[in-house]
Amino acid sequence: MAPPEIYPLAQTQAAITSHSFNADRSEVAVSLNSNDVQIFAREGHEWKPTETLSEHDKLITSIDWAPNSNRIVTAAQDRNAYVWQQSPDPQTGRMIWKPTLVLLRINRAATHVRWSPNEDKFAVASGARAIAICSFDPEGDWWVSRLLKKPIRSTVHSVDWHPNNVLLAAGSADMKARVFSAYIKDVDKRPAASVWGEKLPFNTVCGEYTSPTGGWVHAVGFSPSGDALAFASHDSSISIVYPGGPAIYTIKLTSLPLLTLTWTNENSLIAAGHDCQPLVFSGSDGGWELTGSLDDPNSAKSAGGSRAGLASPVGRLNSAAFNTFRNADTRGIGSAPGGSGESELFTVHQNTITSVRPYAGTPGAVTRVSTSGLDGKLVVWDVNQVTPVGATGLAGRMAGLRV
Amino acid sequence: MDVNFRKIDIDQYDEDVLLESELYEPDPRDPAQVVSDAKQKATAVRSSLAKGDIVGALTLALTDAPYGPNVDEAKNLNLQTLVSILNSTKSSEIPGVVKSLPPDSQDTLMKYLYKGMALPGWGDLSGSVLLVWHEKLTEAAGTGCIVRAMTDRRLV
Repeated sequence: MAPPEIYPLAQTQAAITSHSFNADRSEVAVSLNSNDVQIFAREGHEWKPTETLSEHDKLITSIDWAPNSNRIVTAAQDRNAYVWQQSPDPQTGRMIWKPTLVLLRINRAATHVRWSPNEDKFAVASGARAIAICSFDPEGDWWVSRLLKKPIRSTVHSVDWHPNNVLLAAGSADMKARVFSAYIKDVDKRPAASVWGEKLPFNTVCGEYTSPTGGWVHAVGFSPSGDALAFASHDSSISIVYPGGPAIYTIKLTSLPLLTLTWTNENSLIAAGHDCQPLVFSGSDGGWELTGSLDDPNSAKSAGGSRAGLASPVGRLNSAAFNTFRNADTRGIGSAPGGSGESELFTVHQNTITSVRPYAGTPGAVTRVSTSGLDGKLVVWDVNQVTPVGATGLAGRMAGLRV
Repeated sequence: MDVNFRKIDIDQYDEDVLLESELYEPDPRDPAQVVSDAKQKATAVRSSLAKGDIVGALTLALTDAPYGPNVDEAKNLNLQTLVSILNSTKSSEIPGVVKSLPPDSQDTLMKYLYKGMALPGWGDLSGSVLLVWHEKLTEAAGTGCIVRAMTDRRLV
């Protein structure tokens, strides 16, 4: 039962917009809210910056490091994606990362990118109401993109690949999560029939699910078997879909919306977002529930007191900004310049978590996950160390809330 | 800096614009049906209130609440019905009442509270009553309930 490993990667409290580890977790690629990718290498208990990948000229939105082929794909607001490959420098012989531009043919920002399980394709979500499916064309020696367009009506926020390398889930701002076929004739073998359908030509819509109370969909994820789909939306809810049933289970949270999720096994997933803590959900095709949080708000006091000494454990609503306004409103006290000492939250992450990814274990038996967020921290959690919902969980945090 | 360009309706230049009506499922009921439903509910709520059954009255008013376009009359009627419930509840009873509501009704109640706050001086609406309900409802249903009231396009 190891406590979470906390690595403050961003020295200047810059946000981490995206993070992705390499196969043996000795290196991590992050973007510190900028146009550059920073690669950090592990040295004992610290991460040292080793390389900077500069090619994008707008903010990088997403990074994915393919574990087997050791290639990095990056997507950015400049509407481009680059595939980075290591090759020896002709002069020094040192291994350096070489970018290849991918023509996405989109006219809005790229928002999210993921390699397919076989690493022969990747999907780029975008604000152009389209998802670019890119595959390598050896004759032209470039990456070609095919667009999934229909029936997407708004920005696509996230994508996730089915383990069969063909189906793709997408969550978008038109309040819907969808499952598409991203079958490409030259790359894929004919996929076996699954719960999502049998005949799967490119751009087949295999499923379309609306968020329960009109929230745009932030995150989507297939279960390890691919037979279930989870999506989190901005109405503070998470839904798990079993297309075979067909059954949809929705959990409405009492806390703020979730932005990112990952499955740890067939019956459990971890999601995190504006509430700054990774939540654990578990269930099966018979029903789902919130079981707890990986973040124990009470453990901090024994672990050195860095997070202790707070007035009340009420989560984000009682943050410094809230207090500043309340003091100004009720007591006429203006804000003291630089007085941000009380902004610390009870959670490990001090701001919204934007990404949660598997860290250790195999798909279907993930033992540890990594999270990164707007506070510039990278945290590795043990998925079995769950603090149950109850006195110290969400209900406890909300109990002291005064609006 | 000249910021007038922000007032240009850029959607009119887009032939594939996302319309408000595409963002939610429309109410399957006919507008006239919605109004008569709301009238029936108002009567039923009055008899529940006379018996002192606040939870029953609230559940009635919050089930199938009118939303969407062309049902303004029913919306006003249901808001009036709801305000009469809110005003006739003792503040000591509110925590118990909001806790016993199902989550969907809690979300709808939150929508009505925010609608009420947006209409100062409407009917016999009182800001302090709304704020007490809002506080107790947030304790029971959390900030998630507020987020849902804000994101849902099915405006009551």
